[in-house]
Amino acid sequence: MVNALAVDQIRALMDRVTNVRNMSVIAHVDHGKSTLTDSLVQRAGIISAAKAGEARFTDTRKDEQERGITIKSTAISLYSTLPEDDVKEIKQKTEGNEFLINLIDSPGHVDFSSEVTAALRVTDGALVVVDTIDGVCVQTETVLRQALTERIKPVVCINKVDRALLELQTTKEDLYQTFARTVESVNVVIATYIDEALGDVMVYPERGTVAFASALQGWAFTIRQFAIRYAKRFGVDRDKMMTRLWGDSFFNPKTKKWTKSEKDADGQPLERAFNMFILDPIFRIFSAVMNSRKEEINTLLEKLEISLKADERDLEGKALLKTVMRKFLPAADALLEMIVIHLPSPVTAQFYRADTLYEGPHDDAAFNGIKNCDPKAELMLYVSKMVPTSDKGRFYAFGRVFSGTVRSGQKVRIQGPNYVPGKKEDLFVKNIQRTVLMMGRTVESIDDCPAGNIVGLVGVDQFLLKSGTLTTMEDAHNMKVMKFSVSPVVQVAVEVKNANDLPKLVEGLKRLSKSDPLVQTYMSESGEHIVACTGELHLEICLKDLEEDHAGIPLRVSPPVVSYRETVEAESSMTALSKSPNKHNRIYLKAEPIDEELSLAIEKGVVNARDDFKARARLMADEFGWDVSDARKIWCFGPDGTGPNLVVDQTKAVQYLNEIKDSVVSAFQWATREGPIFGEHMRSVRVNLMDVTLHPDAIHRGGGQLIPTMRRATYAAVLLAEPRIQEPIFMVEIQCRESGIGGIYSVLNKKRGQVISEVQRPGTPMFNIKAYLPVNESFGFTGDLRQATGGQAFPQMVFDHWQTMGGDPLDPASKPGAIVVEARKRRGMKENVPGYEEYYDRL
Amino acid sequence: MLYLVGLGLSDVKDITVRGLEVVKGAKRVYLEAYTSILMAADVSSLEEFYGREVIVADRELVESGSDQILEGAGKDDIVMLVVGDPFGATTHTDLMLRARELEIKTDVVHNASVMNAVGACGVQLYNFGQTVSLVFFTENWRPDSFYDKIMENRRLGLHTLLLLDIKVKEQSLENMARGRLIYEPPRYMDIRTAAEQLLEIEEKREEKCYTPETPCIAISRLGSPTQKFAAATLAEMAEYDSGEPLHSLVILGNRIHELESDYFMQWAINESTLKSALVEDGKLHK
Repeated sequence: MVNALAVDQIRALMDRVTNVRNMSVIAHVDHGKSTLTDSLVQRAGIISAAKAGEARFTDTRKDEQERGITIKSTAISLYSTLPEDDVKEIKQKTEGNEFLINLIDSPGHVDFSSEVTAALRVTDGALVVVDTIDGVCVQTETVLRQALTERIKPVVCINKVDRALLELQTTKEDLYQTFARTVESVNVVIATYIDEALGDVMVYPERGTVAFASALQGWAFTIRQFAIRYAKRFGVDRDKMMTRLWGDSFFNPKTKKWTKSEKDADGQPLERAFNMFILDPIFRIFSAVMNSRKEEINTLLEKLEISLKADERDLEGKALLKTVMRKFLPAADALLEMIVIHLPSPVTAQFYRADTLYEGPHDDAAFNGIKNCDPKAELMLYVSKMVPTSDKGRFYAFGRVFSGTVRSGQKVRIQGPNYVPGKKEDLFVKNIQRTVLMMGRTVESIDDCPAGNIVGLVGVDQFLLKSGTLTTMEDAHNMKVMKFSVSPVVQVAVEVKNANDLPKLVEGLKRLSKSDPLVQTYMSESGEHIVACTGELHLEICLKDLEEDHAGIPLRVSPPVVSYRETVEAESSMTALSKSPNKHNRIYLKAEPIDEELSLAIEKGVVNARDDFKARARLMADEFGWDVSDARKIWCFGPDGTGPNLVVDQTKAVQYLNEIKDSVVSAFQWATREGPIFGEHMRSVRVNLMDVTLHPDAIHRGGGQLIPTMRRATYAAVLLAEPRIQEPIFMVEIQCRESGIGGIYSVLNKKRGQVISEVQRPGTPMFNIKAYLPVNESFGFTGDLRQATGGQAFPQMVFDHWQTMGGDPLDPASKPGAIVVEARKRRGMKENVPGYEEYYDRL
Repeated sequence: MLYLVGLGLSDVKDITVRGLEVVKGAKRVYLEAYTSILMAADVSSLEEFYGREVIVADRELVESGSDQILEGAGKDDIVMLVVGDPFGATTHTDLMLRARELEIKTDVVHNASVMNAVGACGVQLYNFGQTVSLVFFTENWRPDSFYDKIMENRRLGLHTLLLLDIKVKEQSLENMARGRLIYEPPRYMDIRTAAEQLLEIEEKREEKCYTPETPCIAISRLGSPTQKFAAATLAEMAEYDSGEPLHSLVILGNRIHELESDYFMQWAINESTLKSALVEDGKLHK
């Protein structure tokens, strides 16, 4: 474990922010992130070299180790030095040659991508790990997209090169082509989601932003490392050498000349420089070691200046291969070098990230503090997640200091996601008990932590649900709230087996909610305790944690159900009218659908309730075809003030209108949270406030009169506008060999799945199938698929979109009608959906 | 027949003789118990005095349960007891309308209401303008439309009667949004809060409708044995301890008759400041 000296060193480095790198390791599941991370951790001296490759240092939970997948993201700090020569190549401000790398290993399974979102927020760079054989998969694309929208600069590590060499027995040129294709597909994704403020962030092997590795064997290289070796031999400078070692660059050994053409003057094929100078030694080592040709091994070792210890000489096969390769191309060297040289320091990154990080005006003290990464400015700290402590029920608040310095004992304003400047809601002013450095399985106390660094805080957990902003500035706005790429669409009801355990369940649910960035726990109208997750695996893990850890009591769990949305297909066939209980106030509404593009933009936060209304109206007019004056008259979003349903004021010259706005907004939140059909959230519903009649005296038009009225009117308007329900659809990606395809199709057919594409990955026998699958049909899908394909196919499912179901949900004979009736029964509601008449008052 | 019977201001015995006869002979008697309260009586003392059962009708019953109230009113007599005068507030017109739809005959027994008994404070009823009510401000809901109405009155030199919010049985916003029938403890606005809210809106609007020096009369527990008046400037009212509910406030207009000022001067908290305030305020809307 880390000794006290190392902690001191790390703390000293934190002050030299230009030499800090905050980075996440992101990838598709099972592409080797955690193993790769281990080889970096090994370099920091925390675990011994021999264990790298097996230990999975960042998988701190027992189930993570058992399952061999990462569930929670874990942060560790690493310390590294770079030779003076290399420091010169860093194209941003640096100070000395010591570097502090704060690394977050995050889960690859789509169900846990909220962990990735939380990790990305506190980092500036990302190491994207891609499997040589699988290539860019659905989750690679998702996390890369997330990274780019957060303005995170990527570098790439193509991993599991050993598999290509040992299992597929590829030729050098094939392997080069595989690499080239992977780099290209990564760049296609980058080009699609590029944010101009980031500059050119495509990855180029010849510039050293792509590494090739075998995390399992503990080796890796970038072209740069070979370029350094060969630059001396050929007497050219490194940069020139690097461009020669990638792409269509060939070396003619006879003429000793470099050329761009793959044939020499006589028409004889030339070998690609990458193959000749880089792959060749690696292939030779593999072949010699795996075929136990001792003589050849010794010559090679001598040539490559690798010396083995006596006991290492006795090794054979893979063990020897690992030792040799690790000495030849130590993974940590290549990766650390790539990270330090190419990923931005907080100072560099915050300069262009500040715009997207801060909600407030782009000229106040908080914004400038963030933009300049100024440790002396007011504190701005974003807590991105909660990490359980050994003390049950308590959490470290995990986050990053973006401005100022956070200290133990400091008094700070704790602003939750719903905090509005100037108001008191979702705000606490408390002292931070302690600040700590998070180190994988352990934490180390530190006195303070300056801007640009990642930190853990003790004593903040009671005041924040999952995430939030900490500041010392009285009128600071919030840091932007994180937007997740996945949605909790799968839910179950949990109940205690033993009635006396109920308080423990309630407390356990609170803890569960805190410990996971995305899980939602709440009590339904009918009094059930609901746990909502992103998918089956997420649900399984959450329930296990709840039962064994957070609540620690035996539970009964209902079969999983899916959450739906209620929407409309047309404009209300007539104006819906509701009168207030005292009959002195009347609200006239019409509902109509919102375009899917706009709903998506609202859900992604592109069109945001918190934006300046004029700028938002402009955007809505330009991009979504709204009338500017309509867009300026949006009263609110709902539910939760942010959802994809809108109230638009279309009234003309109504007196006292602004005095009922508050009631209308509250009522709309309520109505959109529990729609009229079966109490699900509404989606894509625009409600136009056509007219209102109000009592002249405020006492007769308070919340008590207006809130129920607005809710009833909204329900009536929706029911008059061809109501429909939407079901969540997963995007499924399945990889398998040709023999499994038949099985996959038959399972998909049975489950209302719809295949979008079927592609063979070039150079491999693997097929990649993408399909849409209703979440409702996804339970047990993984099992069915395994059975139908003899265990070959493993699906990745991620929420993709909401799909409107054909058929009238009010007709119990239709498919959506049947779903509605069943859900209403389960929730203890009347079986039939009340008609609009229930909410409509005649004039 | 549906009878609306006014109960007057305070005591069980404030009911009129005709009202009492109607109550005694009715099939069912409801007491509307949310727009105001009887200060010196409750349901049990009413029942004892009438010698019969009285059903308490809260907001839900009156606003949403009118069918239940009107059931059988075609042949039996049903009584709705209303504190003050049945038409003192507009709230009960809906019940009358519903009865008319059902072709139920209606009758009204009038009684004293704050709207006329306010004359007790010494200013002439003829000189009152529009009545406004002042609601409890919440964090987000601070309606100020009353300001315009006071302005209209003041421009004409008329007095304004301000009825102060009472929350007898109200849900919190959260409970309302969740549809839970959980009620907050009753709250009655006092003179101090009313004055503070008035001053807050003047500070916000800055249209000099009234000022901290504007003379007012505070009326507490009107019509009860502990009835009390106070005459002072608005700023003084913001410090005034008005005691038990209910309260009303009058903002004086600048067309004050000498007889009026002679009468209310007896309750002046500080006679000299009040006198100079009357002079100064008189210049405001000339």
